[in-house]
Amino acid sequence: MLKMNSMNSIYENLNSKFNILSVDYPDDMQMAIDLEEKDIHTVLAYLKSDGYTQLSILTCVDWLKEGVLQLVYVIFNWDSGIHILVRTKLDRDKPLFRTVMEIYPGAEFYERDVHEFFGVEFEGNERSYKHLFLELWDAEPPMRKDFDTQAYSDKKYAPREYKSKFISEKGGEK
Amino acid sequence: MEIISNNLEKDKKDMRKVWEKIGDYFRANSIWMMWYCTGCGAIEMPPTMTSRFDMEQLGMGPMATPRQADVLLITGYLSAKTLRRVIYSYEQMQDPKYVIGFGSCTINGGIYYDSYATMKQLDHYLPVDLYIAGCMPRPEAVMNGFDTLISMIKKGEAKGWKHYQENYDWYHENQLHSLGEVYVKDEFHE
Repeated sequence: MLKMNSMNSIYENLNSKFNILSVDYPDDMQMAIDLEEKDIHTVLAYLKSDGYTQLSILTCVDWLKEGVLQLVYVIFNWDSGIHILVRTKLDRDKPLFRTVMEIYPGAEFYERDVHEFFGVEFEGNERSYKHLFLELWDAEPPMRKDFDTQAYSDKKYAPREYKSKFISEKGGEK
Repeated sequence: MEIISNNLEKDKKDMRKVWEKIGDYFRANSIWMMWYCTGCGAIEMPPTMTSRFDMEQLGMGPMATPRQADVLLITGYLSAKTLRRVIYSYEQMQDPKYVIGFGSCTINGGIYYDSYATMKQLDHYLPVDLYIAGCMPRPEAVMNGFDTLISMIKKGEAKGWKHYQENYDWYHENQLHSLGEVYVKDEFHE
C-alpha cells in the first residue's frame, strides 16, 4: 500500500500541474503517463528537478494502424526506485520532435538510435544524422512495422542455395 | 562474365613443392587463432581453451592480433557493420591464412535469415576453409573441427586464401554489393 500511495501521490501532484491525458501502472514502482507533444519538455524538466535524475532509455513504438509513432521516455528516481514512462505520440508521416539534450544530456545517443531505426527527426541534435549502428543505410527506417526485412535481406545478402531432393511415390530421388 | 564458383574443390594432385609441404607440416602443429566473436558464439571458446578440453594439446592457441594469427575463427552471425571489420582483420593476416566458420549463422544466416542487417553465408565474402556445425557447437565439435583443419593443412587442402587471391574480384564485388563500401568511416575514426 505504501507503493500505491506514493504512486497516487505522484500522479495527483502531476495532474494538478500539467495536462495528463492518461495514466497507467505497468508494474509495481512504474507509472506511465501520456502527454501532448508540447508538454513533454516541461514535464521532464520538472520531474528531473523532483528527483528523476536518470533517463534510463528513450525508445519508440510504431503504432502502424493508428498512424502514429510513440516516443517513450523512461526516467528513474534513485531515491524512491520509481520509473516513470513519459509518452507522447507523433505524426507517423513526418515525425519531428525537439531534443531533450538540454534536460538529459545522455539522451543524445538514444535520439540517434530512434532516428536511425524509426526515422524520428530530433531538432537540436546535430549528430543525430550520423550513422550509429546502420552504417551506409540505404532504405526506410528498419524498425517501422511496414518495413519488409525479408525482401531487403534477400536483395542485399545472398541466401545460400540448397538443391531440393524429392522422393517420388515410386521410390528413389527425382 | 561467368560467375566463378567459390566451391573449394580438392585437387586430385598435390601441387605443393617439397618445402611448402615441410612448411605446412610445422604450421599445422603450431597454429595461432584469431577468435572474432561476432555474435553469440563466444561462450564456447573458454571451455575449449581451458583445462578440461585444452585445445592447446592440439598445438593451437589464441593470438591477440591478426598480424600474427594463422586462423580467423568467426563465431556466429555477422551484421553488415561487423563484416566490414572482419574483412579488415582478414586482410591484415599474412598468408597462408585460414577461416573457420562457427555455427549455423555462418552457413546460412541461422535464425537471422530474414534480418535487415545480417549476412547469410560467410563464404560469399571470405573463403571459408571449414565449417563447424551447431547452434552453438559444443567444445567436442570445436575440437574435432580444429583437428580436421590441422589435417587439411598438412594435406594441403586448406587453400581458401589462394582462392581469395585468385578470385578477389568476385569476393570484392560481393562485399560491395552487401556493404556498400568496405572502408570503415565511423565517428570514432574521425
